[in-house]
Amino acid sequence: MIEPSLALYGEPFDQVETQIEDLLVATGVRYCLLVDRKGFVLSHKEALWAPRPPALDSVATLVASNAAATAALANMLGERTFSEQIHQGEQGAIYVESVGDVALLTLIFDSSVPLGRVKLHAKKAILALNEVMKNLKEAPPIKFDADFGSSATALLDDLLG
Amino acid sequence: MSTINFAAREINCKIVYYGPGMSGKTTNLKQVFSKVPSHLRGEMVSLATEDERTLFFDFLPLDLGSVQGFKTRFHLYTVPGQVFYNASRKLILRGVDGIVFVADSAPNRLRANAESMRNLRENLLEHGIDVKEVPMILQINKRDLEGALSTEMIRAVIDPKHELQWHEAVADQGRGVFETLKTVSRLVLERLAKGQ
Repeated sequence: MIEPSLALYGEPFDQVETQIEDLLVATGVRYCLLVDRKGFVLSHKEALWAPRPPALDSVATLVASNAAATAALANMLGERTFSEQIHQGEQGAIYVESVGDVALLTLIFDSSVPLGRVKLHAKKAILALNEVMKNLKEAPPIKFDADFGSSATALLDDLLG
Repeated sequence: MSTINFAAREINCKIVYYGPGMSGKTTNLKQVFSKVPSHLRGEMVSLATEDERTLFFDFLPLDLGSVQGFKTRFHLYTVPGQVFYNASRKLILRGVDGIVFVADSAPNRLRANAESMRNLRENLLEHGIDVKEVPMILQINKRDLEGALSTEMIRAVIDPKHELQWHEAVADQGRGVFETLKTVSRLVLERLAKGQ
């Protein structure tokens, strides 16, 4: 196993959802995601007024890859990591900050939203999210039935011929 | 290990296409993208140079469907094959669940195949993992080339103990692409079923 998988479920998952929802309201951002370091979406919320989000799989993959590349760059410059990344365009921006070594908080927002406000609330949320992450337990093993193999094979046949 | 999101009841598996430059890794993904119905796949993301050589990676999410109540997805990645992009290759191997090694049958690419396999072993070891711990399939591509290397010769340098399952392919015609993906997907799911 190269990278630990996050066992985010039950109460910790609810706590993460609450933090993300609060962050969305407090900052006025469009989308707020928690992404693991492998590039998978752990949780996401969007503002009610926001348009349909971009492909979240792709966003998460690029955010995680970008963070990994940034960390590699930091190491080359003698830093342990660069904990935050900001990308600002004409219409909008994206702000990404590390949640410990396990996840990345990602906020996507319009240019009308002040970056200072986003950073301020994000840093508060990260303190809380870090506490949640510290208390995560091992994922319970999934018990698949005996017919797991045949169901999976049938789906593979459907998908790939 | 696959990422299992209990809250969303999702299983996400990461499959990486590895191999020397120009062996056909991106072509494999493009074929999958063009043939899988759009409701079962996401967008294909390619981070490439101006001459379409992979710079960082290509990415394609695929929905398998629901297996015993868990929505199961495969995330397909390629790595850049050119030797000087090793930092990118190391990053893409992060969290890998299955590997397709795409070997090039061109007569002058035997050494490149061998060096890419050695590079894969080294990069996995840097993540603290032995190459034998990851489900892997060998795809011997470009079988239509005139003077193509024999499959025995390629297997002798990539997999001398004949431990890997392998498929012949002509990826730009779609031959062998789905067979390869199906075999590696099955291995990943079998491992998942065993709780590894």
